[in-house]
Amino acid sequence: MQLNRTGIGLIAFFGLIGLGMVVAPIPGEAGWILKSIGVIWFLVAGGLYFFARGQKRKAAHQDWVFQNGIRGRATIVKAGSNATVNEMPLMKLTLDLDVPGQNPRQISKRQVMPVFAAMRMEPGIVLPVYVNPQDPDDLVLVW
Amino acid sequence: MADLDATYSSFAAAHGLEALSAYPAGSLTPLLVEAGNGQLSPAARGRIPGDVNGVVGHLAYTRNATFRFSVALTEIPGSTEFVPRLFCIRRGRRTRDDEFYGFEARHSKLWTESTKLNERYTVSTSPFQDPNWLRQMLSPAFIDWLASEPPEDFSFELAYGALLGSVEEDYPDATGIEALCRATAHVAERIRKECEE
Repeated sequence: MQLNRTGIGLIAFFGLIGLGMVVAPIPGEAGWILKSIGVIWFLVAGGLYFFARGQKRKAAHQDWVFQNGIRGRATIVKAGSNATVNEMPLMKLTLDLDVPGQNPRQISKRQVMPVFAAMRMEPGIVLPVYVNPQDPDDLVLVW
Repeated sequence: MADLDATYSSFAAAHGLEALSAYPAGSLTPLLVEAGNGQLSPAARGRIPGDVNGVVGHLAYTRNATFRFSVALTEIPGSTEFVPRLFCIRRGRRTRDDEFYGFEARHSKLWTESTKLNERYTVSTSPFQDPNWLRQMLSPAFIDWLASEPPEDFSFELAYGALLGSVEEDYPDATGIEALCRATAHVAERIRKECEE
């Protein structure tokens, strides 16, 4: 997952308005209610920010595996989805891996995909795959 | 709509294609997904101009605004292993005008190596597309062709072996449909050739 412009806008909106509510000099009970809401909004923005940072680190690692990994082939054996994330199917793929220098094996991989990609994940489709030379379980599927 | 039916019907007759009132293309590419079920109506199927098997038809959908396209669909079966996805979309084209979510799957990377190509198109692939293969496929001659020859507004989407060429048109004429077919066939041939190499 990666942050898009809408996400940046949402984080900025909740963060800044939440902060504004916290520091606004409104006296009495109304002020405390506003501050409480502001804290919640600010925490939501903070949570989204740290989630985005984690995803960015994950993306950087995937880029490393792509650039330094061993290229192989992954044949889809089974594909299905029971859940969606932001209207995108969370796919569970069973793949036959054929990577040079490694024994052929079958793995499972979960991947969030846009609808058009998810609908094309059918048994028999062959996709490129890059495997971390130091960790055969660490791989990037080119879907 | 009657004009559209007549245009496709006469186009099918002139090129030896089977005229169809509708063709369910399915959710093969992002544009077809935007259109819901990817229904082309009207459509014509067979050996389309440019000498490839495919379907050409009209795609319309409403997503806040109404979008209309002429599209040509063909297959490049062996391409997935080399290039699962390649989208070459006319700069500034809009296929939707809503965006609700702040996070999305990391599914594409822009290809910006060719200024000439990027003046006319936004080109994107999988974030993990082999750049060397793509460089060979997007040869200087092919980039020259893409930059100058296809019909205005031409775009194409290759997704898992399905190639969809498209132009934004409300009421296309036979000449426009033929130009779309030929451009799509040319792209298909180029990708197929590179896959075979």
